[in-house]
Amino acid sequence: MSKRTGANATSPIVAKAVDLVKTYGDTDSQVTALNHVSVDFRRGELTAIMGPSGSGKSTLMHCMAGLDVPSSGQVFVEDLEVSSMNQKQLTQLRRKEIGFIFQSFNLVPTLTAEENILLPLQIAHRPVDREWFRKVVGVVGLENRLDHRPSQLSGGQQQRVACARALMERPSVIFADEPTGNLDSRSSREVLEFLRTSVRDYGQSIVMVTHDPRAASFADRVLVLADGSITQDMDHPTYDDILAVFAEHDDPDNGPVSVESADAKEA
Amino acid sequence: MFRIGLRDTKAHFRRFIMSIIAIALGVAFVVGSFCFREMLNDQVAQMMGSNSDADVYVRGATEEKQEPGGSVTSYNSTYTEISTSIIPDIENVDGVTSADATMQLGNAVLLDHNGDALTTVGAPTLVIGVDQDDPWRSAHFVSGEYPQTDDEIALLEDTADKAGLKTGDTAKLIVDGEAREMTVSGVFTSPSTQLGAILILARPSFVQHVLQEEGEDTSSIQFIGVYGSKTTPLDEEAQQQLADRINKALPKSADAHAVTGDSVRDDATKSIQDQLGFIQPLILIFAAIALFVGAFIIANTFTMIVRESMRGYALLRSVGASPAQVFASVLIQAVILGIVGSGIGVLLGWGLLEAIAKGMSSGGMPLSGSPAPSATDVIIGVIVGVVVTIIGATLPAKTAATAPPIQAMNETVNPEKPVKARGWIGIVMVALGAAFWVLCYLGAAKRVDWQWLKDLGSGWTLGLGAAFVVIGAIVCAPAFVAPAAKVLGWIPSKMFPVTGKLATRNIGRAKRRTANTAAALFIGVAIVSCLGVVASSMKTSVNNLVDNNVNADYVAMSASMTQPISTKAVDAIEDTKGVGASSAVYMLPTVKATNAEKDVMTAAIKTDLLTELAPVGQQDGDAAKAIDDGEAAVGRTIADDEHWKVGDVIDLESENTSVDEEATKQASEAYQKQAEAQAKTLQQEAQQLAASGDVSGAQSKAKEAENVVKQAQNVDPKQFVKMKTETKTEQVRIGAIIDDSLYADSIFISVPTAEKITSKDMMMVTQMYVQAEPGANVEQLGKDLKKTVKPFYTVSVLTRDEFKSSMSSMINSMLAIIYALLALSIVIAIFGIVNTLALNVSERTKEIGLLRAIGTSNGQVRGMLAIEAVILSVFGTIVGIVVGVAAGVVIRAAYESQGMTTLTIPWDQLVLFLIVAILVGLVASISPARRALKQPVLDAVASE
Repeated sequence: MSKRTGANATSPIVAKAVDLVKTYGDTDSQVTALNHVSVDFRRGELTAIMGPSGSGKSTLMHCMAGLDVPSSGQVFVEDLEVSSMNQKQLTQLRRKEIGFIFQSFNLVPTLTAEENILLPLQIAHRPVDREWFRKVVGVVGLENRLDHRPSQLSGGQQQRVACARALMERPSVIFADEPTGNLDSRSSREVLEFLRTSVRDYGQSIVMVTHDPRAASFADRVLVLADGSITQDMDHPTYDDILAVFAEHDDPDNGPVSVESADAKEA
Repeated sequence: MFRIGLRDTKAHFRRFIMSIIAIALGVAFVVGSFCFREMLNDQVAQMMGSNSDADVYVRGATEEKQEPGGSVTSYNSTYTEISTSIIPDIENVDGVTSADATMQLGNAVLLDHNGDALTTVGAPTLVIGVDQDDPWRSAHFVSGEYPQTDDEIALLEDTADKAGLKTGDTAKLIVDGEAREMTVSGVFTSPSTQLGAILILARPSFVQHVLQEEGEDTSSIQFIGVYGSKTTPLDEEAQQQLADRINKALPKSADAHAVTGDSVRDDATKSIQDQLGFIQPLILIFAAIALFVGAFIIANTFTMIVRESMRGYALLRSVGASPAQVFASVLIQAVILGIVGSGIGVLLGWGLLEAIAKGMSSGGMPLSGSPAPSATDVIIGVIVGVVVTIIGATLPAKTAATAPPIQAMNETVNPEKPVKARGWIGIVMVALGAAFWVLCYLGAAKRVDWQWLKDLGSGWTLGLGAAFVVIGAIVCAPAFVAPAAKVLGWIPSKMFPVTGKLATRNIGRAKRRTANTAAALFIGVAIVSCLGVVASSMKTSVNNLVDNNVNADYVAMSASMTQPISTKAVDAIEDTKGVGASSAVYMLPTVKATNAEKDVMTAAIKTDLLTELAPVGQQDGDAAKAIDDGEAAVGRTIADDEHWKVGDVIDLESENTSVDEEATKQASEAYQKQAEAQAKTLQQEAQQLAASGDVSGAQSKAKEAENVVKQAQNVDPKQFVKMKTETKTEQVRIGAIIDDSLYADSIFISVPTAEKITSKDMMMVTQMYVQAEPGANVEQLGKDLKKTVKPFYTVSVLTRDEFKSSMSSMINSMLAIIYALLALSIVIAIFGIVNTLALNVSERTKEIGLLRAIGTSNGQVRGMLAIEAVILSVFGTIVGIVVGVAAGVVIRAAYESQGMTTLTIPWDQLVLFLIVAILVGLVASISPARRALKQPVLDAVASE
């Protein structure tokens, strides 16, 4: 289903990090968020990045998406080196290769659901594929809500609009930052189902950061970070597999979920 | 809390810069307006002190009823005139050094060393009758001395410098249309600058003589000035004592009363100051705009700061700070801000005034009044600044203080309160204002004839209408922001589909804020559009009048405002070769229509004017024939006002003062007789002495007698001139009523008719129209006419185009000042827009970050904000233009009868305003956009 043609389209790797290092602060009080991380993200997969607070999972995603600049190492999306791009190239990258889904939905309040979904295409001056639009809207189940403003939609609906927006431009990869973090369990399930559907049926590549093992269990592959390094790389793990991994590292009574919510800011 | 407030101020200082500038500008205007008034007051007081410097003034004892609408010159003419014959009585009073009735000529023209007339910017040229015996105490001679003969004058140093004349030079003085050669006897200074006035001292006898020739009654006068000392002014007590002594000596029949010089000066000073008072409110309007925007910018700034510091306030609250303490910590910042801003503002206002004073001095109007602000000005300025700041900061401070800690943790923008109610209230006010304007229009166009409307006057309906419309527009503006944004956003939405749409929708998000920001621009633009319409209507009306109604090839006008064209010049022009039809317009200032309700001007003309030079279009009856027949032709406006129709009779009355030949002769003869008698007595005494053998005594007596005879022979006959006042009346039938606006507001009669009631000396020619003889060369005539008027110096001959442009240039220079003020209000409006955008950007940090995350380029973000700013400024400008033009249209209609016959809307100017508005928006969006782009995308979108 990928629209892309040429050599890149056939490459099994959609994005990769090579020896990525990210440190904060000056030399006296240096904090290492990413410690020589190298990882490939495969095309057509839903990859979940997990880890406790401060493990560097959000930093990894921000560097991958060109939102943050690594201290050293390289980031590639579709063989384009993101880590060395200037503002203009980043804008082009965001228009063509990258989609975003945020924890706090981030819809434009003055635009209707439909306008929000079409916004990236319009910004990039790209034609709207109406058939694709109907398909996406159908999958997220927003047919009757297209004229509504974000303030008239529930949280789950807003996030589904955000998902549709990310999918609409059919980017090489969608980065989802805690997409279910602000949702109740039912809405979470709907959104996750949708993400899995878009990967399975339309070949979309998605990288999702989450601290919720249940959300991670929807993924094709789960990476676990701890102290800036990848400690686990699991292929199609079950929910119990994931819980087991965390149980190994931590006291099971004091699970990663509660640790995370205490000071999420540091992520 | 104080320490927190202080520390916050430091932290936010860069944020505050714009607020400080706005407050400083507002305060500068306020302080400047006060200082300006005080500077003028100071100047007036100084001038009074040096120009009316007598210790005691003797004036009429009976107060005259003051005429309504007294002009600038009539400020002290509220007492009956007194006879100059009491001067000797006053001079005999103990302690009086000199007493004299200082007479002035207001219509002289001095030529500079090149022979060109010396002109001023509005200041008068005065020839003052003083000399060694009747001195002017405040005059200090730099060189030379008082004029000794009638052929000498002394000049003010400033005047001498401008004219390039010095003591001993020969100067030409034009008096009564005649150039006279005068020797400069001296150059003097006065303690106060004279605002560029040209001051010339001449002997009193010279001034008196000229006045008499002009038909002025020199035997009675408003004031007689008395000096108690030739060198030092008396203090108030001594003045009072002297006045009391003089009052005792004054005969009852003189109907005169002596008062202290100080009291006269105080009264006159106050009265002039009152007349100058109108300037201050004008400046204060702009101060109000600046302060309004200032308060608004401060409110915006604090809203931003409070929004960004919410977490901190929540923390303070959660560790036990009371709402009042949080409130105080915000308000302290406002107070500091207000003090800093108004401090700068006071200095700025002062500097501005110093610059104005400098500018006026170099423009030929030296000021000695001090532009420094008084302590009261400084206090008022600081209080205004601080109060405005506190008003601006109160609401955000309240938000900071009252938000519950939990809510403060979450970043939420409270939805706006609905603006519908405001919209309706505003619309009602605008409608009310419009109704006043309609009333004004109806009244002016004579569509209705309601007495109460006439009593109210067009000024009130105009003013009330304007007030309601402007305030109403400001009140209802928020309700129109969203629809206006849709309309104005239509073009940008087509040009830039995404950014245009986003910008258009964003405008409607904070309607009040948008409307308030636009209001600053609105007021300024409204004022200027209104004046633009009035000014261009005036210009076109004049041009149309000249083009359609005036056939004259040339118009002769007086170059100085005060000097009429002399009758000799009129005769010379008439005699110039090639002149066909010509007519001077003789204004008759002494003639009154006693059966008219209002003051009506009467003018004498030749019928050439009505038939050839400016032919009458529409009229009842035949104006030319009527005037030839000794009847009057009346303008339509007057005829309507007075309900006159053809066949009615006007009672014309003129009070004429002239030299009483008989009395003069008698006085002269009486003097001669007295002298003869004296000589005879002396001769008899001499004979007696000779008879008694005292030869030397007899010789000296004979010599004395001889002297008396000689003196009597040489005596200046001018000193016996006696004046008389005669009142002549004439009943004139109205033979025609003229519709043309050129003739709308005067009564016209023929010169012979005018001469029945007044003399030619009393007629003032202000303009003269000339047409070339059929077949004559028009261009050659122009050259000849210019040659003809050359010896009269003050008369200029204008072609039709020059005549038109002379009117326009007057209007243009008036507008220049207003445009300067507009430029300032635009600067302030830009601040407002920048600030509002900055607040919008700060509120939308996340949204803008998101837009960028999904591929919005920097250019697109800039474009979006630029479109927002442009919509905002164009919104304000368009409302301003609509209101301003409407006001201009109404004003034009209200003054139609005063010659504003044609309505012209200066479209090019209005389009220019719109273009400027677009530029203003673009410029204003630069800095907020930079700030929006400086924010890293990550910060904007990262959760938490």
